[in-house]
Amino acid sequence: MRNALLIAELSLREAIRKRLVSVLLLLTALFLGFYLYGIVRLEGTLDQRSLDAGLDGRSLNGASNLPVIYSAMFGMYLVYFLGSLMAVLSTVGAVSGDIENGVMQSVIARPISRAQLVLGRWLGFSAVNLGYVALLSAGLLGGVYAITGYLPPAPLAATGLILLSTLLLTALTVLGSTLFTTLANGIGVFVLYGVGFTGGILGSIGAFADTPTLTTLGRAANALMPTNALWLGASYHLQPAVALQISEASRGANPFFANAPIAAGLVVWAAVLAVLAVLAAMYRFSRRDL
Amino acid sequence: MLSRVNAIETQELRKEYRGRAVVESLTLTVPPGEVFGFLGPNGAGKSTTVKMLLGLVHPSAGRVQVLGGSPHDPAVRERLGFLPEQFRFQTWMTAEEFLRFHGRLAGLKAAELRARIPQVLETVGLGGRGGENLGGYSKGMLQRAGLAGAILARPQLVFLDEPTSALDPIGRVEVREIIERLRGEGTAVFLNSHLLSEVEQVCDRVAFVKQGRVLRQGSMRELMGGVLPLDVRVDHLPPGLLDTLAGLGELRHTDTNTPGRTDVELWLDHEDTIPAVASAIHAAGARLYALKARRPDLETMFLDLIEDTPDSSARTARLGQGAARA
Ligand SMILES: Nc1ncnc2c1ncn2[C@@H]1O[C@H](COP(=O)(O)OP(=O)(O)OP(=O)(O)O)[C@@H](O)[C@H]1O
Ligand SMILES: [Mg+2]
Repeated sequence: MRNALLIAELSLREAIRKRLVSVLLLLTALFLGFYLYGIVRLEGTLDQRSLDAGLDGRSLNGASNLPVIYSAMFGMYLVYFLGSLMAVLSTVGAVSGDIENGVMQSVIARPISRAQLVLGRWLGFSAVNLGYVALLSAGLLGGVYAITGYLPPAPLAATGLILLSTLLLTALTVLGSTLFTTLANGIGVFVLYGVGFTGGILGSIGAFADTPTLTTLGRAANALMPTNALWLGASYHLQPAVALQISEASRGANPFFANAPIAAGLVVWAAVLAVLAVLAAMYRFSRRDL
Repeated sequence: MLSRVNAIETQELRKEYRGRAVVESLTLTVPPGEVFGFLGPNGAGKSTTVKMLLGLVHPSAGRVQVLGGSPHDPAVRERLGFLPEQFRFQTWMTAEEFLRFHGRLAGLKAAELRARIPQVLETVGLGGRGGENLGGYSKGMLQRAGLAGAILARPQLVFLDEPTSALDPIGRVEVREIIERLRGEGTAVFLNSHLLSEVEQVCDRVAFVKQGRVLRQGSMRELMGGVLPLDVRVDHLPPGLLDTLAGLGELRHTDTNTPGRTDVELWLDHEDTIPAVASAIHAAGARLYALKARRPDLETMFLDLIEDTPDSSARTARLGQGAARA
């Protein structure tokens, strides 16, 4: 374990020294600034409108506040998307990159087992990616709250599910980087990510059109790649009753938001899948010639 | 703390890549503290062998023992040092950070490392430059940094895969000195090279490999059939001198073509006979211009061996048979 932590520490230092962290912080600031500025303007317009209508205030969870509610939800969708992108791009060469540029040989000749190395890489990159998503989520929801006073019903549960999705994606990307070249891995994980999204779309069309086959296909895709299902679960926690009523009225014809909480089994499966991916990566890397 | 187990022992070691044997029935023994030269042309399988001995590559068949254990055992690798053929390291680190990272992986304590890192940097000629990023190092400096990493944890066995490929002539001499110092400390060295002069000067024993097979192995003396060639140059040959010399060793060659100079090649059984040759020449009244014991000449031996060995065509036939049997 000491060795795995040493590798995790190395990965963190690498992220800092290669300016990954500073670029991320800068882009986070840009994204949040841009988005929150939009919300400041939105809030101003809404306040003006309610004044014009002769009302002296809006209910935070009422229909009149729907624009703010939806902007918080879409903002979190962007957080989920950016977090996924980041998880794949930062981690895509976690193992393969070091093999390809020849750094791995001298490291593996040291008294460290290959399983420890894979574990350390996953821990290190997970720390970076989770930190990024946590920062974005806190910045976005905190910003919206500071500007409008609105907070989604269960922000922690929602953020937790997005973090789990990031963790899973990081694990799958680490696995891919022990199996393929860096480029092939990046393409492969994005395709998987697409499979998850397809699952969400099929599922929502299936529910809308009442087609069991599509629902089953969607469920299979979700099991294979639960990231999108985790996002949908998070989206449920971001919707107050008024937004859920709209969702239900449209019978779920919206692949971005769900009107039901995620099945507990799927959450457990996502966590198990992440662990399995790391174990498979350890196994695969131990068998590989360098 | 010199252990008596062999530094390296392999039996019928074999590695195939896509059905093609890259290393074949390799049986080697390297005793502790020995400097062993592993020689062969490009693509002979030298680096692959080293990687198998380090556990980086999994053998297709055969047995490997390094320092009495398996190279897959971290406790064994703790006592190994390795300079890879492609010395690429994390370019975002400084040399000191690189060494600290490797030292910690090797289980060295922080205090130990603080003393040891400047020491090894000095040894490899990078004293005072440890604070620079490896990304800014020249090729030779990188190889020196890798060498520092290889000897950092005071290993009992060091693998050097072409350690001087990027070095200037001074660097080559320095590497030779480092190897000699390692030998003095009882560290075994496995030296991969095709620079024959380098191997000649430092190695106790050598093995020649070609296309994955060991063609011959042994000490320099053994490889030369145990003889020591001696070149003698005198102004003339007084009567009887040749007979005396023939009594001391085997007379191979006499060249009297140039007036006022005679060259004689003599094969001795033993170094201790050299002073007797000099005395005999003085006693006969000839003037001695040169008396030089030639080290067994690896270059000639290498070329002879490599050229004399049946090449690919014959071997493909043999491989074909192997495949048919399998
Ligand atoms: N990963 C691999 N996949 C396929 N073939 C390989 C692989 N690694 C090595 N080989 C083959 O094995 C043979 C021996 O390679 P190796 O690197 O051991 O040679 P070498 O003796 O170190 O040569 P050099 O003097 O050029 O360094 C070569 O023919 C090479 O093509
Ligand atoms: Mg080589």
